[in-house]
Formats: sequence, structure tokens, C-alpha cells
Amino acid sequence: MRVLDIKLLRDLWRLKWQALAISVLIAVGVAVTVMAYSSQKALSTAREQYYRETRFADIFATLKRAPLSLTRRLAAINGVRAVDPRIIKSGLMEVRGQVRPAIAQIISLPERDEEALNRIVLMAGRLPDARQPHEAVALKTFLDATGLRLGDEVSTVIGGRRITLRIVGAALSPEYIYMPSPGSTLPDDKHQGIFWMTRAAVEEAADLDGAFNAVAIAITPGRNEAAIRAEVDATLAPYGAGVAIPRADQASHAFLEAEFKELKTSGAIFPPIFLIVAAGLVHLVMSRLVDVEREQIGLLKAFGYSDFEAAVPFLRLATLIGLGGAIMGGALGAWLSQGITTLYREFMRFPELTGDFHFAAFAISALLATGLTAAGALVAVRRATRLNPAVAMAPPRPTTYRAGILDGGYFDAMIDPLSRMILRTLFRFPVRSFMTCVGLAASLMVLLATQFVYDSFEVVLDHSYYRIQRWSDQVGLAEVRGPSAVKNLTQLPGVLAAEPIRSIPVIFRANGIEERGGLIGLNPGSELYRPRDEDGQALPLLSDGLILSEALASKLKVGIGDPLLVEVTEGERRELVLTVGRLSHDYSGTPAYLARPALNRLVSEGDVANGVLLLVASDARADFYHALASVPLVAGVVSRDDTVAAFRDIVTRSFSTTMVFYLGFAGAIAFGVSYNASRIAFSERVRDLATLEVLGFTHAETAFVLAGEIVVLALAAMPLGILGGHLLADAIVAAYGRDEMRLPSGISAWTHGVSLLAFAVAIGLSLIIVVRRVFDLDLVSVLKTRD
Amino acid sequence: MLDTSTNASSHSLPIFEIRGLTKVYTTEAGEVHALRGVDLDIVPGEMIVLLGPSGSGKSTLLNILGGLDRATSGAVVFKGLDLAGASDRTLTMYRRRSVGFIFQFFNLTASLTALENVRLITDIAASPMSAEKALTLVGLADRMNHFPAQLSGGQQQRVAVARAIAKRPEVLFCDEPTGSLDSESGVQVLEAIKIVAGEVGATVLIVTHNADIASIADRVIRFSDGRIHTIERNTSKREPRELSW
Repeated sequence: MRVLDIKLLRDLWRLKWQALAISVLIAVGVAVTVMAYSSQKALSTAREQYYRETRFADIFATLKRAPLSLTRRLAAINGVRAVDPRIIKSGLMEVRGQVRPAIAQIISLPERDEEALNRIVLMAGRLPDARQPHEAVALKTFLDATGLRLGDEVSTVIGGRRITLRIVGAALSPEYIYMPSPGSTLPDDKHQGIFWMTRAAVEEAADLDGAFNAVAIAITPGRNEAAIRAEVDATLAPYGAGVAIPRADQASHAFLEAEFKELKTSGAIFPPIFLIVAAGLVHLVMSRLVDVEREQIGLLKAFGYSDFEAAVPFLRLATLIGLGGAIMGGALGAWLSQGITTLYREFMRFPELTGDFHFAAFAISALLATGLTAAGALVAVRRATRLNPAVAMAPPRPTTYRAGILDGGYFDAMIDPLSRMILRTLFRFPVRSFMTCVGLAASLMVLLATQFVYDSFEVVLDHSYYRIQRWSDQVGLAEVRGPSAVKNLTQLPGVLAAEPIRSIPVIFRANGIEERGGLIGLNPGSELYRPRDEDGQALPLLSDGLILSEALASKLKVGIGDPLLVEVTEGERRELVLTVGRLSHDYSGTPAYLARPALNRLVSEGDVANGVLLLVASDARADFYHALASVPLVAGVVSRDDTVAAFRDIVTRSFSTTMVFYLGFAGAIAFGVSYNASRIAFSERVRDLATLEVLGFTHAETAFVLAGEIVVLALAAMPLGILGGHLLADAIVAAYGRDEMRLPSGISAWTHGVSLLAFAVAIGLSLIIVVRRVFDLDLVSVLKTRD
Repeated sequence: MLDTSTNASSHSLPIFEIRGLTKVYTTEAGEVHALRGVDLDIVPGEMIVLLGPSGSGKSTLLNILGGLDRATSGAVVFKGLDLAGASDRTLTMYRRRSVGFIFQFFNLTASLTALENVRLITDIAASPMSAEKALTLVGLADRMNHFPAQLSGGQQQRVAVARAIAKRPEVLFCDEPTGSLDSESGVQVLEAIKIVAGEVGATVLIVTHNADIASIADRVIRFSDGRIHTIERNTSKREPRELSW
């Protein structure tokens, strides 16, 4: 081994802690990148495989009733690959241990497997026996959430008839990976029961012998999906069908897509930030590290080593540190993405989800990190090799300090000599001070921007569920009903207030843009549902115009006073032209509101509703739900409290883990910057510090000079970091926007507090480690040797 | 006994010809004239001691002759090679092939053993002696695998001497080689320098504050204020072991 290589290894060992701190920064940048891309890759691979193996359909339609023979006409449509006619019926189901009844959907299993689309994947138990009509396979997530087990019996009321189901199997389905409950945009496992039974059993329960009321269609890849859907609509129209929906709008798929988009966004925003911040810091630290070694470079040159030969060991050192960090980051990223995949396995509901490693993400981030590390060293090495060896080897001339703006007058009296040493050093090296300050600010910025999401969720919850929607329960009716339905519900125990609501699925069209959505008809002067404007003021409902959510208006590129084409996608499918009257501010969904009488007039109906908003006394919930389960024609009930709880649960599960990682990573950056800055300051000033001790200053006073520099920079970094955090939060909010939820970007005092605390702890820890060196100074040897 | 002429004895061609050499440093405080016009010839195999107070220019001259620094004006010719106008690459090759250095603070690489510090040079030199031989010459055969921190100051400086002569340099530059050492160690180092320089036939230039050391030189050059003040030829040289201070 060449002597320079031996020196390289020994230097690496001598600098091990600093090298480790740098490697950690790089590792963080690489790990975040690998984690984000690997888990995304694992998820999309799993979903593709799931969809392919279960033959997930492309088009979905529901109708009132059609004979099975119609299937042949659907199959004959050019481009249709497979048609799966089904019967789907829903009712309420009481589950022991749960106050609120669940919504139970009964779905018929196909008679011939080769026809089947959206095949279920049996995870436990078996399929129903054809000779046992009450046997059913249940959605596994429902069983898991409710504690129901194979062998248990449950009952539900379908079309006024009570039927009992015996659970014999647990299955997952590509159609119900997520089951957003009606009235909410989030899955609610406990109250969303899906049961598959033999066709004969469901036919009998639903009174649909030889008929179907839902159909799933797969098309040949590459065919024009929209054109096929139009033909499907035309074929099904006489059978009371709504407009067929494409896979993109299927509830579970759409939710999953949004979830994927979110992962992609965080994968696109955070890793580059971490990587760039880490690389920038490494660059800075590396160049200061080499600055300290400039005498060695001078010495090598004096012996006749060329600039290049003298530079190589340092570049190798930097590259080794960079590579070490990259490898650590790759391993950490792989481990983290395994962990995240395990987490996803639990709540993504794929039958199979195995960890994956995104090699390209690793390679690119590793290359970038290592390159920037080496570049940092190169800058400093060039600075050293450019000097004459005589100059490089000479101890750097004492830095010229000048009396600054802080000197003279009052300041002399106010600032003690030690503090003055700190301030003069900071002002003497403004670029270095600034860069360290920026590094610290970056870590605080990332801390704030990763933690603010919780604040946003709270704002969303408060706005959506306590200010706009003020009901405690929303009951969905299986059919459109008159005022008597509301009256019946008002008489249930605990009901304090009740208001009918009419919602109609529609397609909005304007400026050549098409958006699916719904018209919500509310009673004028509604107490339980109040759309609000941007300032939080309640908007009165209009009879001659729509209150349109800002999000929908911006998608359709319309404003107040603009006309909007609205196609009703149920019943007679009429087309209406409505004017945008006001804009409402919502964080979730893209609602459009209208006064209910006006809405009913537009579709030529009387005083009808298909849902009821209720305010139920909280101490009477159990009685209320028990009574509700026996009310005919109730299709479902949504509870605000349960929705909010589910919301928090989902947020905790899907965000918390990643956010804890990001918190740790941001802390590691703060630690790394602070440790390196103070460690280098220690190397550069060890003689000053030793001299102070010789002169009789205490360890604490000497340590103050060393730590003070970092503390001042950290204080200066705070406003900068907070500003950056707010800007980054805004950017994240802009990138995250999706139909189900748009985040407001305010950062709460609590989050500021937590982030600043984490920031302070990370810096404090690093200072403790470095300052301990002051206590271990060997004064004689430090002062005897030239630095 | 005194010979104040600029030139060395004429029976041998000079290894260095120095004419009108000046060096000006520009600092924040203004210009510092380190050398104000130096003329000197040095012949092969000579041992020269440069004496003078701090800032008199002796170390600056040494650095320029050693190719560590550049002159502001004037000429320095080493065996026909003009060092003043030489490229960086030429100076690097000059230092690599022809020159050995010994510094006041040893400048050993702390992370390498004595042997490895010498090998740092033998790795790149054209026809070096073995690192082991160089260390044996300076009396450190039994300390080869010690790290600098495990050696006394005198031993460290002898490692530096071994490192400087291992390449068999034509010129050996010593900048305050005994400046950080006690008298006994200093004498050992000077002896080592004399022995090894004799072994490889190197010309030796020693910069020092210590007038006692002057008595081991062939010529003693006194500097003052950036100029050569006097040049003396020693008619009765002493051996290093005869010295003490």
C-alpha cells in the first residue's frame, strides 16, 4: 500500500466522528430519496399485480333491474373484453359492540369464474357453499375492524326483509381496497361491511331472479374507453341506469390514486430538499475540513508532489466519506422502506405487498451526494494548492480583526471581552458565518414544514365538520322520499333537529372541461349545513344560482355570474344551465349547493329528499342507532364523531410514520451542521482556547467562547428558518391539493414550539459533545506544538 | 580568515547563481520588502549557514532557492535552470528530484510512522536510498515504527533529516533545524545533517538564529534588512559534537 493511502486511512480514522457526522447528513439525503421512491415502487407494483390477477374492471354501472340476457348485448359492444353482471344491495347492520349500525352491501358472486371481474382474494376460510344460502364471505377489513370472526352470524334488512348471514370466509377485493363512506371522503372500516354470497342467495334476497342491477366491464387495452362507456350508457339507459363511471372515478381506485399522488408529492418534495441541504452542508464542512489540512498540502508540495498528487488524498478522503454516507443511506433507505411497506401492508389492503428497492433513486442520489462532497473538498484543496508551499506551510497569519460597528461607546461597557471574541469571529468570516446560519435555518425549515401538516388537518376538521357541516349524523335513504321520511326520523330517540337534504349526481361542464360531482340541495336557512365563504361568513342559499366551491370553480375555470352546464346522471338525465352565484370555501370535496326546493323544481320533483341531516343528543346515540336499524329504506348513516375519529386515525397511520422519520432527519441535519461547525471551530481555535485557560479563564468561560459562536448563529437562523418553513409549507400545500382534501398552510404556535425545541435539542447535543473537548484540553501539548 | 567576496572559490562551477534578487510581500498593512537585492554564488558540496535577526530575509531566500516561493524580481539559476521564471510543474519536479527540506517544527505527518514519513519521499523520488537506510544513517534504526508523537523532539527532527536526504538531494535546506530543540538534541541533529549530507554529497544551507552553529559551516552569510550584510569563510571548521549552547 502506498504511504499516501496509509495516511488516508489513518486520517479517516482520526476524523472518524466528523466523517461520521458528514456521512450521516449524506445518509439522510440518500435514505429519504430511497425510502420515498422504493415504497412508491413497491406500492405501484403491488397494485398493478393485484389489478391484473383479480381482473379489475374498467367501467362500472348501476341500474334498477335488467335481465341477464342483456349481458350478451353489452359483451357485443366493440372493445368490450368481459362483462360481469352482479346484484348489489345494501342495508343497515347492527354489529355487537358498535353503537352505530354499519352499512352492509351484499354482492352476488359470479356463477362461472371465467366471467368474473373484480375477483375476490380469499384470505381465510372458504367460499359459500351453494347448498347453504346464508353463507357469506366478508370483506376482511370489516372483520378486522369489528372483531367479527369466521362462523359468526350477522343480519341485515334488505328490501324490508331481514336476512341472516353466516360468515365463512374473509376476502380482499380490488374494488374495495378503500371504502369511502357516503358523506365522508375517508374509509370507515368499522361501518362498511361488504359481503359476497352465491348468486342464488342474493337473487332471492333482492327479488332479482334472472336479473342484475350492477355491472362491471373490462375493455380491450388500447380501446377508446369513453366511446365504449357511451355505448354502455345507451344500452343500459332503458333499465334505470345512472351514467357508467370509468375506473378513474371508481371510489376505491380514486382514493388510492390520490394516496399515490400524495406519496409521489412527498417523494418529490422532501428528498430533493434533504439531499440539497445535506450536500450543501457537506460541501461547506468538507471545505473547512481541508482548510485545516492546508499545511499538509504545502508539505507534500515542498517534497515535490505535484498539485494533483497532493490533492488526490483529500479528494479520496472526501469521496470515501461521501460513499460511506451513500451506502449508509442506501441501507437505511432500504430498511425504512421495508418498514413503511409493512405499515402499508396493514392499511393499503393489498393481498401481497413486498418491499422493493429503487436502485435508480439510490444511484442518482448517491452519485449526487458523493460528487458534491468531493466538489466541496476540491474547492478547498484548490485553495491550498494554489498557494506557494512556503505560504501553505507557514502558520496562517493571525487573522486581521478590526473594531466593528459593535465596538466603542456603550458596547464596550455592555459586552465582555469573551463575547467580543465571539462577535468579531462571526463578523470576520461573514460568508462562513452566513453559510452555517443557512444550514441551521434549513434544518429548522424542514422541521416546520414536515410538522405543519398536523395543524392543517385540525383546521380542515374544524372547518368541515364543525363550521360547515354542523350535523351529528347524516342518514341516507335508499329511495327519494317525501316529508314523511323526515318526520319519521325526527321521532327517533335523541333527535334534536332534522333537515332533509337532496343530493343528485351530476356532470359539470364549462369551457370544454368536464367534472363529475353532485348537486347538494339544502333547506334555505339550514342550521345544520352552512356553506361559508373565504372569510368564514355563512352564505345564504340561492334559488336562482349555485354556490360553487372555489376548487370546482377553478377546475372548471368559471367565476361568479358564469353559466354552467349541469348534466344529471340519474333518472331522466336532463341537462340544466345554472349560473354561479357565490363561491364557497371548502377544504374537502368539490361541492355545489342549491336551495332544495329549487333543485327539486329543476328535476321536476315535489318536496322530496334522499337524505336527512340530524342533530342527535350525544347521550342518546345508542338508543337512536338501535331504533334507526329497524327503519325501512335507510341505506346508511354517517356520524360526524366517527368520521372525525376515522380521519384522525388515517392521518396518524399514513402520515405519522413518515413525519417521524422526517422529524428525525431534520434533527440529524441540525445536529450535523452544528457539530461540524463547532468541531471545526474547535480545531481552528484550539490554541486560542488553551491560551484562555492558561490565562486563568475557567473551562466554562472557554467553552462559552466556542459554543457562543454556534448559539449566536442558531439564534440568527431562527427567523430565517421560520420564514423558510412557511414558504415550504405553502409550496407543499400547493403540491398536495386533491379533491378529497386541500390543506391550509397555517403553522400553529404548538408546531413552532415543537420544531424549535427539536432544533435546540439537536444543537445542544452537538455542543455538549464538542465542548467536552475544552475540558479535556492538554494545555502544554497544545501550546507547544504549532497548529 | 575573513573573505568578504560575494563569490565562492572559483575552482568549481556554482550550483546556484543569484543575481539582484528581491521579494516584496503585499499585506493589508502595506508592502514588506523581504529581500532588497541579493547576489550570491553557491558551489556544490558547500555547507553555508545563514544568520540574521527575524525578518532579515534569510528564510525568504531559503524558500525561493528551495522552489517554495517565487522572487519578485532578479534571477536564481540552479545548474542552468532559471527558478525565477520556472513553471509550477518545473518547480515541482525541481523539488521532487533535487531538493531536501528540514523545518524548525519538523512537519512530520502525525498519522504516519517514522518509516512511513520517509517513504512519503522514497515513493516519488527517482533513485532514493531505502527508507530504512536513511533512518539508520540518522541513528533511528530502532525507532522506525514509532509515530511522531512517540518520539522526542530530537528524534522527530532526525526523522525529518532522514526524510530530506532519502531522495539523495543535491541541495539540503534546513530552516532553524535546531530551533525547537535543546542543546544536546540539537547537536545530534546537526551531526546527522553533516553525516548524511556527506554521504550523498549534498550542498547544505542552514538558516539559524544560533551564532554558535556558524562554526560548522564553510561560509557564514549574515543578513540584515533584506540584504547580505557580510559573508565570512571559516578557516577552522568545528565538528557539531564540539558545540553546545
